[in-house]
Amino acid sequence: MVEGIYGVAFAAMGSRCEVRIAAADQDTARRLATYAIDEVRRIEHKYSRYLRDSVVSRINDSAGRYEVECDKETVALLAYADTLYTASEGRFDITSGVLRKAWDFRSGALPQPQALQDLLPLVGWQQVERDKAAVFLPRRGMELDFGGFGKEYAADRAAEALAEHGVAHAYVNLGGDMRFLGPRPDGRAWDIGIQDPRDMDATVASIPVSRGALATSGDYERFMEVDGQRYCHVLDPRSGMPVSHWRSVSVVAPLAITAGSCTTIAMLLEEDGLGFLDRSGMSYLAIDHQGHIFRRT
Amino acid sequence: MDKDKQPSVGQALLAAAMLLPGLAHAEAAPERGAISVKYLYYKEDQPGLDRVQVHAPSVSVMAPIAGEWSVSASATMDDVSGASPRYHTAVSGASRMDDLRKAGDVSVTRYLPHGTVSVGAAFSTEHDYRSRALSLQATFDSDDKNTTWALGLGGSDDAINPVNHIVQNEGRQTVSVLAGVTRIFTPVDIGQLTYTHSEGHGYYSDPYKLVDNRPRKRDQDTVLAQWNHRFVAADATSRLSYRYYRDSFGVSAHTLSGEWVQSLANGWTLTPNLRLYSQRAADFYFDPVYDSKTGAPFPPGYVFGGSAFTSADQRLSAFGAITAGLKVAKQIDRDWSVDLKLEHYEQRGAWRVFGAGSPGLAPMRANSLQIGFTRLW
Repeated sequence: MVEGIYGVAFAAMGSRCEVRIAAADQDTARRLATYAIDEVRRIEHKYSRYLRDSVVSRINDSAGRYEVECDKETVALLAYADTLYTASEGRFDITSGVLRKAWDFRSGALPQPQALQDLLPLVGWQQVERDKAAVFLPRRGMELDFGGFGKEYAADRAAEALAEHGVAHAYVNLGGDMRFLGPRPDGRAWDIGIQDPRDMDATVASIPVSRGALATSGDYERFMEVDGQRYCHVLDPRSGMPVSHWRSVSVVAPLAITAGSCTTIAMLLEEDGLGFLDRSGMSYLAIDHQGHIFRRT
Repeated sequence: MDKDKQPSVGQALLAAAMLLPGLAHAEAAPERGAISVKYLYYKEDQPGLDRVQVHAPSVSVMAPIAGEWSVSASATMDDVSGASPRYHTAVSGASRMDDLRKAGDVSVTRYLPHGTVSVGAAFSTEHDYRSRALSLQATFDSDDKNTTWALGLGGSDDAINPVNHIVQNEGRQTVSVLAGVTRIFTPVDIGQLTYTHSEGHGYYSDPYKLVDNRPRKRDQDTVLAQWNHRFVAADATSRLSYRYYRDSFGVSAHTLSGEWVQSLANGWTLTPNLRLYSQRAADFYFDPVYDSKTGAPFPPGYVFGGSAFTSADQRLSAFGAITAGLKVAKQIDRDWSVDLKLEHYEQRGAWRVFGAGSPGLAPMRANSLQIGFTRLW
């Protein structure tokens, strides 16, 4: 059967997304893509902190009051968050999202030091109490935020949904976080470019990918400049201040959630990020604050 | 503990991720490349094994997944990995998301080794108007990717039910074809030539205007030539374009426009622009000279209920126009930009360049001031 390559675009998780898929015809491509899109939307509805009835909102609304029972998937994600916390020496902390209240990147103004000081006690994964079926945030105002890995998890789940339907030549792209399910039908790899962190119309590198996943974190996703200094949205949970060593980190890994976690941890570890990437065993390309490129295939 | 014996952090993260529900179980066939994943999982997923022991030779594990990083980017990339906003640059948030939602629901692109084929459908309704459209577009790249040809075919079907019931269940069907070529001549010069032809039939009159009776068939041709040049040293871009338009109503028009985009320090951009326009009137446009008996708005010899084509729509008259404007924009931070645009538009019959303009119309002047806030997503 002759297969063509089709792209089905959609919007989810605040990003522009696409499923690119080899199929016999357009209708088949669209029908198959729907399995992936439905899965992304399911995860978005379940874990978005912006939706009142999401699991994350229920947990956050109960902070300091009572524990919330969690289903298996949520418990598993919380266990993953625990591994992230340990592997990153406490830097990747899913309770640090509350610091956003002090950082308004649209205002162009730095937060008041006192505002940050008031929020820091609410950050601390080690304070979170959880067991096999429930989670409790002990302080009022504490928040969980799955934003650090939710999109990557969704990319993996969406890809699995495609694989379950026999798709062997496709990839899922959720706002630049990608999971690949095999090369093009003719066996050639997909050519993926890496965003230039200082020129949004350019790329700095490219890599052929057939399987596994590719994710990129950058200091250009959300930031402001104050007195010539860039403040990006990746915050160190210890100080509440943005990290600044890396402009961009891209990682290739078997799963999107692993690739994305490695990019974020490397950003958070600042200078030590390079050692972390080397120890991670993953293929990476990192660009430091002076524009120097470090890579390992 | 010997450091070399420790499972690497990456493998620990991978092993933890494998415990998430629904991940990595689908790629069961070990010969598949995600073997890396699978392999790892397969090996360690045996009863009695502690998950912390899940580790595998790391570098070789990655090998089948991806090739080598190439720092010289090629022009043939399928996609770009980056933090999200790449896909949302320079378009204000909400409307873009709406467009996207529409497009996401209905547009599908087929990617071929040397081009693309897109199929799209659109649907929109207003209280007195309903429009459906289908489009098909194909692009072909040259071997060096510096030239792209485009061919397009589109059709639309509109239903019109004006609230004054002057007509009911009227409609309009249009078919259009497009052919274009874009060429990158040098790294700083890009040129584009596009030809569009459309044929439509149906209700073209303005239901809210008296004595407006237009042909039920309209053919249109447009040729657009554009040239952008980047002045690297000056950090500026010039955009020049010429457009020729004609239709079967008898209207023909030339538009010449130029724009200079000058980047300045601290996120400021200054963009002066100038547009010259000249138009020939539609064959059935009548000058504001009215019938001596019935008076305005009826043209001389107007027959009520007659079939003669008439329109007093000033947009169908003969005229020339000049637009001069200046836009000042300031990027405040990555998320927000503000712009202020001043524009002066002046239209006069006498300014028509080729031939005389329509008499008896007051010059039309317009000044516009626009303040925009753009939120980048």
